[in-house]
Amino acid sequence: MRLGRYELTLEPRPAPPAIFTALTAVVAILLALALSSFLFLSSHTRLIDAYRAVFSYAFFNPHGVLATVHRSIYLLFCTYAFLVPFRAGLWNIGLPGQVYAGGLAAFAVPFVLRAHDPQTLPLPPGLLIVLMIAAAAAAGAATGGFAGVLRAKLQVNEILVTMMLNSILFWLVAYMIKEGGPFMSATGEGESFGLPSSLHAPLLLGVPVTAALALGVAVLLDLLFAKTALGYRIRAFGENPAAARYGGIIPVALSLLVFLLGGAFAALAGYHYFAAVPGVYKIPGNYGYYGDLGFYGIIAALIARGSSLGAVPIVVLFAGLSVGARFAQGELRLPFGVDYALLGLLMMTFVASHVLYHFRFAWRRIPSEALQSVPTELPEG
Amino acid sequence: MSPPDLAPTEPILAARGITKRFPGVLALDHVDLEIQAGEIHAVLGQNGAGKTTLMNILFGLLQPDEGALYLREQRIRFRSPHDALARGIGMVHQTRRLVSAHTVLENIVLGHPRTRGFLNLRGARLEVEALCNRYGFTVPLGARVWQLSEGERQWVEILKALYRGARILILDEPTAALTPPEVKTLLAGLQTLVRDHGVTVLLVTHKLPIVMAVSHRVTVLRSGRVVARLRTADAAEEVLVQHMIGRDIAFRTTNRSAEMGRPLLQVEQLSAFNDKGLLALRGVSFSLREGEVLGVAGVTGNGQEELAQVLAGLRPAASGRVRLDGRDVTRLSPLQRWRMGVGYVPAERIEVASIAAFSLVENTALNYHFDPAFIRRGLLDNAALEQLTRRIVTTYNVKAPSQYARARHLSGGNLQKLILGRVLSRNPRLLIAHLPTQGLDVEAAAFVRATLVEATAEGAAVLLISEDLDEILTLSDWVAPIYEGRFGAIIPRTEADAETVGAMMAGLGMKEAGVR
Ligand SMILES: Nc1ncnc2c1ncn2[C@@H]1O[C@H](COP(=O)(O)OP(=O)(O)OP(=O)(O)O)[C@@H](O)[C@H]1O
Ligand SMILES: [Mg+2]
Repeated sequence: MRLGRYELTLEPRPAPPAIFTALTAVVAILLALALSSFLFLSSHTRLIDAYRAVFSYAFFNPHGVLATVHRSIYLLFCTYAFLVPFRAGLWNIGLPGQVYAGGLAAFAVPFVLRAHDPQTLPLPPGLLIVLMIAAAAAAGAATGGFAGVLRAKLQVNEILVTMMLNSILFWLVAYMIKEGGPFMSATGEGESFGLPSSLHAPLLLGVPVTAALALGVAVLLDLLFAKTALGYRIRAFGENPAAARYGGIIPVALSLLVFLLGGAFAALAGYHYFAAVPGVYKIPGNYGYYGDLGFYGIIAALIARGSSLGAVPIVVLFAGLSVGARFAQGELRLPFGVDYALLGLLMMTFVASHVLYHFRFAWRRIPSEALQSVPTELPEG
Repeated sequence: MSPPDLAPTEPILAARGITKRFPGVLALDHVDLEIQAGEIHAVLGQNGAGKTTLMNILFGLLQPDEGALYLREQRIRFRSPHDALARGIGMVHQTRRLVSAHTVLENIVLGHPRTRGFLNLRGARLEVEALCNRYGFTVPLGARVWQLSEGERQWVEILKALYRGARILILDEPTAALTPPEVKTLLAGLQTLVRDHGVTVLLVTHKLPIVMAVSHRVTVLRSGRVVARLRTADAAEEVLVQHMIGRDIAFRTTNRSAEMGRPLLQVEQLSAFNDKGLLALRGVSFSLREGEVLGVAGVTGNGQEELAQVLAGLRPAASGRVRLDGRDVTRLSPLQRWRMGVGYVPAERIEVASIAAFSLVENTALNYHFDPAFIRRGLLDNAALEQLTRRIVTTYNVKAPSQYARARHLSGGNLQKLILGRVLSRNPRLLIAHLPTQGLDVEAAAFVRATLVEATAEGAAVLLISEDLDEILTLSDWVAPIYEGRFGAIIPRTEADAETVGAMMAGLGMKEAGVR
């Protein structure tokens, strides 16, 4: 773009300094919040009150904070589920299916062991919970691994098959609690049988243990990629599969491994969502819901540039704002869907900041000779 | 600026006082370059001299820190290659940039400013065909790029530039991956473009014979500075070498004692398919002792790549057997072979042997991440890798800003030295070196050859695959000309002469010479 004697260009940024990463994120958040004022215009409250409603509910109100924590845990596991295969250059589009598989497997454990009744638990509750988590992780890993094998070994279109698997698993989840479904509650359709409260995830400092698990995994994953031989192999494969193979990595094994891991993480998200706390699984009216929310896990992984720890604050923000906006929507009679609109805005400003992170605007004074026009075509010969 | 006799007319394109710094490197230091309309202008220089950097500036890919460009003496500024193309400057890069799954036509048309939005392939086809007719090109427009030979791909790149309206063509090392006959065709084609169609060519190379054969004038770069500007007719090869290197080079003599060790490798009737599913290697047999060099001489595409890959474990053998130390290794994985001391230097440095986005240290790890000595409780031992990298960089004279620079910022030759150093640092017992000196300047190539000889002195067996007959004849104990997947013969060095081997490389006289 040319402005008088000056010129504005977008140039690649050589090596962005470290604090720049944090700074761009902050700017992106502020920008999204500023833009979101349009969403609040239709309400009759003052703008400042609308923001206050969103934030105070999400981060200060005890109910709100708990909702934010729950959603963050769910989103974080979705983030990891995407992030691990992504570092190997592979896209985990089977994420929703793996989430459902995790939820199903978690409920299958008490169902099979007839542990509906708190009085007659066949095993100590602690052991049962561990079994539920393990079953969920295994089911998710199997679902993910299926995609991994398809991807690495057979030349079938793994995208199509994975999408089909996603919807099959979704309908399975729905079927299980429909009338006649095995997990149906005694009271009627649309809800599963309730888990005895001794089988809910135990609390640690008032939040379910899955929170500690999610944060622990964030640290471990970053360490994995930065320091370990396995992490190196995954990254090498992601950057250049041919070179990785030359370096002794077996492509099939590696693809399988990352999808097993990714699937297990997605299943933990499913465990958390369906089994950890409410102890009942329901399908909300909007059937796409879990998949939708999981999508923000993908975005968080991309924005954090593959760093699991970097994704934590982003996920908490996504979770908090969507929880807060949903609350404010009811409280201040804002238009329906404000929470998703806010997430959408945030996503867009993050993506824009991503561009700015890698490129910079440069002002240049145009040398006066260059302002004369030059023939654009050379004559032949 | 330049002596008057060298600038009879005003230059069509000029760079004046160009300086470019990268972190830790002064890549170009006040460089002046003037190109006359309708000439073939060679830019000569060693690896890392700054040739590619200068071309990238002329093509708008990089911005100079100082200095300016002039088109017909008008100062211009290119913010992007788009601007350069709009002014009729096209570039064919040192590394191929075609999409191999697409057809030739798609590759030519895609990314053209006019085809943004939607694509009118039929209309474009007519235009490209007209262009082919005009310039006398025969390029199969409907073929997929992966089906083409390197020579044909080069023509596609040139056609692509011309289709975008280039009247000044920048070619960065266009012959690096080509076979000798392809080089001939390319050079003849370039001469036609210049003579009959008024195109101006800027040819970057470090191959003297090419400079001497086709260029009108030559500019020599050394360490980012222009050290000579000459008419080719006035330049002797020795003079150019001296300018390029800055002193006379003493080639290390590569005479080796012919003391051979124990038998190491036996290959029996080895066959393999290529990527297109055709039998590319057809029953090759040979054996190799410790300390021996077998030189496989051939024009690229005669099964050499398949041979190297099968031996390294990267491609399955269709039939036949490979034995190392008497043990059948035909089905072992690449990793198992590395562990048994098989080292492989592939011809594709960027695509296979390195990871562009990784640092030098991480690239070193590519051959070490399975080595228990470099892993502590699952963690990679970064200090050890760093130390090893430092050793490779000093020993092999790799010019790099730092150990944590990305491999993509190394010049082609320096990357090759890094790869070779990395593989040799594992002290392989069998070294498969495929085109190890391709793209290296005279001095670096001499160094690499000396390194290979040193490795044999320490008992390694070397399978040297090369197109350079002189290289093969100076280094090998045995010479095996390869043609269409078969060895014509395996000739002891003392009996091998350039004529016989050259004829066999071309498929003549197969079977006649005695096979060992
Ligand atoms: N993007 C970059 N960042 C840092 N250093 C760079 C970058 N590009 C090039 N260099 C350095 O600049 C110098 C010149 O590199 P250039 O690629 O121009 O060499 P060249 O003459 O083309 O060599 P070759 O014959 O090996 O291709 C080298 O020392 C190289 O390491
Ligand atoms: Mg170069």
